Amino acid sequence: MPYVSIIVLLPLAGALAMLLVPAARLREARLIALVASGASLVFSAILVGVFERGVPGIQYPDTLDWAEQVGLAWDVGVDGISLWLLVLTAGLFFLAVAATAWRTPLRGRAFLGLLLAAEAGLLGLFAATNLVLFYVFWEAMLIPFFFLMAMWGGQDRGPATVRFVIYTMAGSLVMLVALLATAFVAQDITGQFTFSIPELRGVVFSETESTLLFAGFALAFAIKLPLWPLHGWLPGAYRAAPILVTGLLAAVMSKAGAYGFLRIGLPLFPEGADNFAIPLGVLAVIGIIYGSLLAWRAPTMRMLVAYSSLAHLGFILLGIVAFDLLSAQGAVLQMVNHGIVVAAAFAIVGIINRGTSGDRIDDVAGMAAGAPRLAWVFLIVAMASLAIPGSNSFAGEFFILSGVFRQHVWLAVLACIGIVYAAIYMLRLYQTSMAGPPHGADTGRSELRAPDYLVLVPIVIVMFFIAFWPTGIVGATRASVERAIAPAQVAAGRDADEIARPPTPNPPPQAVPLPGDEPAAPDTPQEGAP
Amino acid sequence: MSHLNVVAALPLIIVAAAGVLAMGTGLFDSQRVRRYAPTGVAVAGIVAAFVAIVVLWGDREEAFGGSLRTDRFSLLLSAIFLAAALLVIALGWHESAAVDRRGEFAGLIMVAVAGMMLVASAGDLITLFLGIETLSMSLYVLCALEVWRERSLESGLKYLITGAVGSAVLLYGLALLFGATGALDFATIGQQLELTGLTADPLVIAAMALIVVGLAFKASAAPFHMWTPDVYEGAPTTVTAFMSTATKAAALAAFLRIFQGVLPELAADWQAAIAAIAVASIVIGNIAALVQTNMKRLLAYSSVAHAGYLLIGVAAGGIRGAEAVAYYLIAYLAMTMTAFAVVIIREREVENGEQLEALAGYGRARPVLGIAMTLAMLSLAGFPPLAGFVGKFLLFGSAVEAGMTWLALVGAAGSVVSLGYYLRVLGVLWLGGREDAQPARMLAVPGPVLAATATAALSIILLALLATPLIDISRGAAEALLAP
Repeated sequence: MPYVSIIVLLPLAGALAMLLVPAARLREARLIALVASGASLVFSAILVGVFERGVPGIQYPDTLDWAEQVGLAWDVGVDGISLWLLVLTAGLFFLAVAATAWRTPLRGRAFLGLLLAAEAGLLGLFAATNLVLFYVFWEAMLIPFFFLMAMWGGQDRGPATVRFVIYTMAGSLVMLVALLATAFVAQDITGQFTFSIPELRGVVFSETESTLLFAGFALAFAIKLPLWPLHGWLPGAYRAAPILVTGLLAAVMSKAGAYGFLRIGLPLFPEGADNFAIPLGVLAVIGIIYGSLLAWRAPTMRMLVAYSSLAHLGFILLGIVAFDLLSAQGAVLQMVNHGIVVAAAFAIVGIINRGTSGDRIDDVAGMAAGAPRLAWVFLIVAMASLAIPGSNSFAGEFFILSGVFRQHVWLAVLACIGIVYAAIYMLRLYQTSMAGPPHGADTGRSELRAPDYLVLVPIVIVMFFIAFWPTGIVGATRASVERAIAPAQVAAGRDADEIARPPTPNPPPQAVPLPGDEPAAPDTPQEGAP
Repeated sequence: MSHLNVVAALPLIIVAAAGVLAMGTGLFDSQRVRRYAPTGVAVAGIVAAFVAIVVLWGDREEAFGGSLRTDRFSLLLSAIFLAAALLVIALGWHESAAVDRRGEFAGLIMVAVAGMMLVASAGDLITLFLGIETLSMSLYVLCALEVWRERSLESGLKYLITGAVGSAVLLYGLALLFGATGALDFATIGQQLELTGLTADPLVIAAMALIVVGLAFKASAAPFHMWTPDVYEGAPTTVTAFMSTATKAAALAAFLRIFQGVLPELAADWQAAIAAIAVASIVIGNIAALVQTNMKRLLAYSSVAHAGYLLIGVAAGGIRGAEAVAYYLIAYLAMTMTAFAVVIIREREVENGEQLEALAGYGRARPVLGIAMTLAMLSLAGFPPLAGFVGKFLLFGSAVEAGMTWLALVGAAGSVVSLGYYLRVLGVLWLGGREDAQPARMLAVPGPVLAATATAALSIILLALLATPLIDISRGAAEALLAP
């Protein structure tokens, strides 16, 4: 069964179906959106069930030619890395759609349709196994996000959205040229013109080629992540977008950049990745510290969570560029963890804001007295966010840091500073808003109600689940992660016992002829011949 | 004249005849005939020419002793011109220029198409120049068709003067080429250059340079684009739409015919020249478009930038380059026509309809037109999965394959800059004006206009989704172009 195609196309079909619903029939629009995103979630849950752990390559591939003359094709599939991201995307978008169906904004039909389109874009991005298809989804998902921010956003949304799109496009058009160049350069080496990622694996580019191509892709990934100092679009966009969209940007879209490094950067351009490993690692650590400092001084709750997200993504990238199995697995786990934790954090900020006049941290205090249930859930999320031992994020960060310690001790030491800061800023937020004498908030409006539980309880359950059984997630990623980082490990000259699945060169070296079949050696001319 | 082979020239003959007939029917006394006959004749001619193109599709045939080449390239380009003419005639259903003077409007459009078809199927220098002049002459008049409007007259006059300069430069170049090789037909010129090693001859180099400049005028590529914004702004919008799509396609056809088909020996020289013009067009067009507040001027500068993207394919050369240009011309036709269609509709409703601010909140009020404009803008900017993306993909790919990755990077950078104004249009369209306030005055859209708009907008998606057959056709055209 073409599970992956179904998962990607269901939300898209839902988005297109919105066009057929009359604008006044909001009920039907809600129903379609819930069914489309819910069915996609169900199928991704089935996919988890049928997924074969221990298989490193792509599973359930679906292929359909689009413009075969130029190598464009619909190639999707799933492996241990993308599996959890698909589940994360489908799950969080289902919750987002459910929350929207409960409190539908003005022009709700368009909002739901764009949400579904964004979901299809992200699912397609994580499922694509063809460079061009990857690019198509990478770009296409900008359009729904652009409209979601521009039409329902808050103050200053105009400049913020334009800056967001231009930043991202600047990176991705360079990526377009890089992926074209990849195919043509690889054609010179293998004689085969293809954009398929599995078929491009192991192509031995020269070091210059590899470095330049990696740089072209890495720029796009780093902007999307965003990596310091390319985060210029982030504050404006996160501030201007509706909080639901901000949550999705931080929880899901930011993973696209990290995923790109793991899916394309490391496996296809190992020499380039090796050359950039230390600079990227340093930038990631700067991002961790810089994001933490900004989060510490952030004036509003929303920006605090946004900047903390910048720091957490630094951890994820650090885990990837260490080229270590443990840290790369931790990075995948942390992508999922960060996704659910930050989604929960933004949901709570949204709930708090229901009862406050603004979003400023200093204006609110002592909500725990009036809204004890909110305080409880917030405490759990805050603890998970600062990665207290026993939380799900602790598992992820522990994996990452122990892997990085093995490879680059000093980067790991610096990154640990970020953990300290995380405690400072998260506790500051919790303390000021929840503890102390009540002030500035209508806690009656902010206390959790039944629909809020529908969003938060599943997230909290998943958080506990991962906290107690992280191997459930990590185990499935092992084979694929080993395969993804092996080329880079070879390029970095790691010990052979670290490299679990040494890559096979592409094209395969000349087969060794069987004994007796050897052709006559050319350098021994037969002089006796007439 | 060894053989006439009129059959091979059939599309051209049909179009020219329809043009003359349409102009003639516009002179009748009866209001009814004047109103419907020219359009009817023109549409019938276009349909008949389409049929002839489909029938003739195949290997190269020569007509009029080799002056005309009917091959897949010329037929594909002819189909593009005809599609543009059909859309423009439909869009002009209610435009003032077209209502009063429908005979001239439909007739001159058809004559211009005939000129463009001459260009695309030229087999010698004379035919090429004849075609360019035929299309230019018709357009000079078309630009000034709204004689009661000063801007329209100004536009016609400006186009006449600059167009004449361009033609003169081009003619000079063609004459020098004739002087150097002693031949008029492309085949002999190509052989002469190949056999005699004239490639370093200053005469040939000068001829090449002059031809580049002359054609750059016609394609409105920078730095020979100065006339474009003024002429586009002043001309009736339907004519502007026709000029920015069909005329550009004709100029690109001439570029491909001459440089790929005749002068491949000088590739090293003209590649550099054309690449330089492409870069200048992309930079100047995109940056100048950023500050425009008039939709027609904005689209004029966008068309300058697109001339640059298209020239990337010419500079890259080879089958891939020609194929990319052919595909992009089709995609460009769909997306530009859609954008102009919305402007045309808005223009009929309010006084300042061509201003960007007239579109404020228009998308909310008219979602269908809003979505059409959105598709056009996103496709022009190169967003997947729309036709503009596939086109840019092919163009940049051809540049990378030809070892001109830097040119592809310039194109990519230009696309980023272009977002600045395409997104601004979208912002005004969906977010402009006061929430829940209707934009001023809206009229019902006439059937043909709406049909043309919807067709063009849908094509933006379909051209991308059905890229396979279309690229096959473009590939066939490119192979025919490069065949000796």
